[in-house]
Amino acid sequence: MSTSDPSKLISKADKLTKLSLTRWSADWKSATVLYEQAANGFRVARNYEKAKLAFEKASQGQEMLSSPWDAAKHMESAAALAKELRNWAEVIDFYRKASELYMQCDRPQPASDALAKGARALEDALPDDAIQLYTDACVILEDDGKEQMAFDLYRAATSVYVKLEKYTDAAAFLLRLGLAADKCNARNSQCKAYLSAIIVYLYAHDLKQAEKCYNDCSQIDAFLGSDQNRCASKLLSAYTEGDVEEIKRVAQSSAISNLDNVIIKLARKLP
Amino acid sequence: MTVIDLITRVDAICKKYEKYDIDKHKEANVTGDDAFARLYGVVESEIDAALQKSEAAATEKSRATAVAMNAEIRRTKARLLEELPKLQRLALKKVKGLSREELEARNDLVYSLKDRIEAIPDGSTAAAKQSGGVSGGWAASSSYTGIKIDSSSEAFESEYFQQTEESDRFRQEYEMRRMKQDQGLEVIAEGLDTLKNMAHDMNEEIDRQMPLMDEIDEKVDRAASDLKNTNVRLKDTVNQLRSSRNFCIDIILLCIILGIAAYLYNVLK
Repeated sequence: MSTSDPSKLISKADKLTKLSLTRWSADWKSATVLYEQAANGFRVARNYEKAKLAFEKASQGQEMLSSPWDAAKHMESAAALAKELRNWAEVIDFYRKASELYMQCDRPQPASDALAKGARALEDALPDDAIQLYTDACVILEDDGKEQMAFDLYRAATSVYVKLEKYTDAAAFLLRLGLAADKCNARNSQCKAYLSAIIVYLYAHDLKQAEKCYNDCSQIDAFLGSDQNRCASKLLSAYTEGDVEEIKRVAQSSAISNLDNVIIKLARKLP
Repeated sequence: MTVIDLITRVDAICKKYEKYDIDKHKEANVTGDDAFARLYGVVESEIDAALQKSEAAATEKSRATAVAMNAEIRRTKARLLEELPKLQRLALKKVKGLSREELEARNDLVYSLKDRIEAIPDGSTAAAKQSGGVSGGWAASSSYTGIKIDSSSEAFESEYFQQTEESDRFRQEYEMRRMKQDQGLEVIAEGLDTLKNMAHDMNEEIDRQMPLMDEIDEKVDRAASDLKNTNVRLKDTVNQLRSSRNFCIDIILLCIILGIAAYLYNVLK
């Protein structure tokens, strides 16, 4: 069965699903099975284009059979193959469709996972779309109340922003991360997020913004009593005094070395 | 007259004086109930030990060991001085079987004990003696050696600034040791910082995974109970099937027997 030519399987399945004079209703069940086999066969043969097509059709079949879960899974495989083919528009499409199907199953977590995978695939090629996908993924998780999972996504999105040198956006994202951390009582992550935001502002040579950000964050009790707070105040005072040595010394301190790698690089490059 | 001679003399005098005291105290100690006598005996023995150590330090060739021993002696002295007020309090207590004169004598003993403790040579008092001229050695030396971290540099500076090279070297050593300690402490602090950060992250990660584990737990429980149900039902069905099969076999055999009986009846008819 699986050794027979996948293209033959596809044509057979197509025949099953095409409505014609002799066939009044499409036989999706057997067709889906055939499509899946064909897709696997193509994937093994590394015929990505055809495999992708087969997965698409298989997913469609599963939808018709009202099993959105399997449909979503097939969509994801199709999207992975599209990534191999570097067909970015299709990648976005497929991942979005997969995530919608997951939401139909009432499973927001795999939905956001799918979007995150898409975003990661697109980071190099289409960073803006990647950011869009990351934001959507975060929104899905927040709606579900599972902000904890969103931390990683926020951090990845910030790194993309920093790569694009959109520092204000990066800082805004970090503040959103802080907010999410606050909701889950994740003090350490929260303080780290705020410290990272301040560093990003300083890197963008925006002292006013940085100070404003620092003042805002000082309103929050958790940040006020933390290590990161002290480090931030040292950094800002070193900046206002224009003491390069002090800045470099604070950047080497342990509080900053515990942050994200991207942020550490920024900090080391200060002033 | 060298310092060493002075010290030996003082030691000899001390020893002579001690002999008398020890006899008296041994008698008092025989009872064992007397807390004062016990504590006194302990302090006495410690003073002896310190004196011996100071003698060894005085004759020590290696500078470092001498310094270390002096430090030890200073620490012992400070400890003993701390215990003195306790001793005094005990001295004032009335113990049965003790005459009033003995009680007062005890007070005096405590005071003299203080002098003796402070007179134990520890490197700083030796120099004091040198500048103070030959005395009985009993005069309470003005250098109050409170224990700081292993040094007596203050005493050195305030009293005899005409430095002997020994005190100079000693001060340098002290500075170097302090710097090394600071460096070590910094390394420890950094390590602790890293640990704290890692611990915080682990905490958050575990918090994140807790609801997931709860979900898994629930789902697995449900699946397990489903399985159990299914198993029980399966068992029932299989039993039923078997019994119904037996039933069928019974019927079939019955039919066969009836058939054979009818045939025989027909034949015999």
